[in-house]
Amino acid sequence: MRSLPALLILAVAIAVPIAFGGNSYVMGLMVSGLIVAGVALAWALLGNLGGMVSFGHAAFFGVGAYTSAILSAKFGLPVPLALLAGACGAALCSVVMLPALRLSGPYFALAILAYAHIFKILATEATSITGGSAGFQRFPPLPTILGLDLSSRVGSYGLLVILVAICAAIYLAVKRSHVGTALRAMAESEDATRVVGVNATLLKAWMLLLSAFITGLFGAMNAHIINFLEPDYAFSASWSILPIIAAIFGGYRTILGPVAGAVLIYLFDQIVAKELLPVGHEILLGVLLAGMILIAPNGLFGMFQRKTAKGAAHAAA
Amino acid sequence: MLRLEDVTVRFGGLTALKDVSFAMGAGEILGLVGPNGAGKTTLFNTISGLVRPKTGRILFAEREIGRLPLHARARLGLGRTFQIPQPMHHLTVRENLTVAQVFGAGKADAARVDEILEVMELSQHAERNAATELALQELKRLEIAKALATNPKLLLLDEVLAGLESKAKRRFVDKLRELHERYKLAIVIVEHDIETISTLCSRAVVLNFGQMIADGTPAEVFRNPAVVESYTGAADA
Repeated sequence: MRSLPALLILAVAIAVPIAFGGNSYVMGLMVSGLIVAGVALAWALLGNLGGMVSFGHAAFFGVGAYTSAILSAKFGLPVPLALLAGACGAALCSVVMLPALRLSGPYFALAILAYAHIFKILATEATSITGGSAGFQRFPPLPTILGLDLSSRVGSYGLLVILVAICAAIYLAVKRSHVGTALRAMAESEDATRVVGVNATLLKAWMLLLSAFITGLFGAMNAHIINFLEPDYAFSASWSILPIIAAIFGGYRTILGPVAGAVLIYLFDQIVAKELLPVGHEILLGVLLAGMILIAPNGLFGMFQRKTAKGAAHAAA
Repeated sequence: MLRLEDVTVRFGGLTALKDVSFAMGAGEILGLVGPNGAGKTTLFNTISGLVRPKTGRILFAEREIGRLPLHARARLGLGRTFQIPQPMHHLTVRENLTVAQVFGAGKADAARVDEILEVMELSQHAERNAATELALQELKRLEIAKALATNPKLLLLDEVLAGLESKAKRRFVDKLRELHERYKLAIVIVEHDIETISTLCSRAVVLNFGQMIADGTPAEVFRNPAVVESYTGAADA
């Protein structure tokens, strides 16, 4: 029963290309939804395990995108390695944010927002490397591996599904480890954990690095899918805000919640909200999120888990 | 084992500890007494690393630890409990001990966790949520159990006997003696009850207004006029 949501998501993930493989509009939406899902998963990992609310994930997304694009275009690095380098670049960029770990709550959120803005300015000003506001293009798309064209909609979709699944598995492994147990305790009892030998700052730093790495990877993926970058797009606040809305909507304390939330929120935004309100459609996302918080503060999957637990308890009784 | 040299702690303009110096050996049980606000908990916080001293040195096992962070001191073998129990939230009793063991002692040993649960009479509560499903006395035992799981050489116990009626207090004192023998621990205990200090401790240190006013056997310090005055407000009381 506990694995039912995972099986359901897997079934939907397999069904989508079978049903809509020939529809490039739907597959394009799903690809973008999965990009947001990867970032939402990374954001939730930091929020849930690290206890930190970030408004700066756009920085990791943008750095991952530019690092991968530049290394593949200017240094001829094969795209798979460039993707990995993009993720590493984002993790490296999070290192300069480590001093912010001394802060907590809204102070951390504001500090990381400021850091994100600095990276956007750097990308805009370093025109010789990034192309500045004029944008950066002519970098290779995703390659063809074992006869599968990963740059096609279906190919990108398949790769993204695998990457999201791998990242979710990593998240699950961390959550179930002793480190995850200590992180769970740290959120509300930091002194109690530190006094028994837990290096709280180090564990938070690892979570920030891991979260940045995953976000950078999806930023890099996105760059090679759309094949064009400009600072206003790559470092857009949307890459910080949309994953937050998605993770909270889906249930940021669960692993699958942010994934499902991201796809649902993105589809709602593109298909419903933009249709109803072409300008300022993000307002409808806010309304949707507020509604979810009022009805189910733990999000979609939090609500599902509670009902499953109640059902199990009832059955046991 | 532990040596403090002229330790002074200030919070802004308030001097919470002033030139506190004492040393204790391995296996010793030391009572730390003094009226409310004397600086006992501040001293514990300073030794364990929650508070940084303004001046002075703290040496533990011949190593200067005054600049080490809290977690590093725990890993050296410095265990402590809090006056108000601080269980690790969202975790079961067993998980509390496992985290303490993995990070404090550096290895997971389920058999030892079971042993500590047994010794601290928490086995039947092992799978309960530590923060929400334990009574106060169980929480106090959990405080000690967590500290034991880090494999400490020195245990700082902050008013673990507070709130116990006399029979339960005697049982708890016996338990502390058992822990002292079994795990070869040095113990510093903050306690107000003179009888407990007299029966449990070989030595007592008295603080008043952040200053050390007496150091000796419990019989000696409780006869000391300065100590009597600190509790009663008059030397001849």
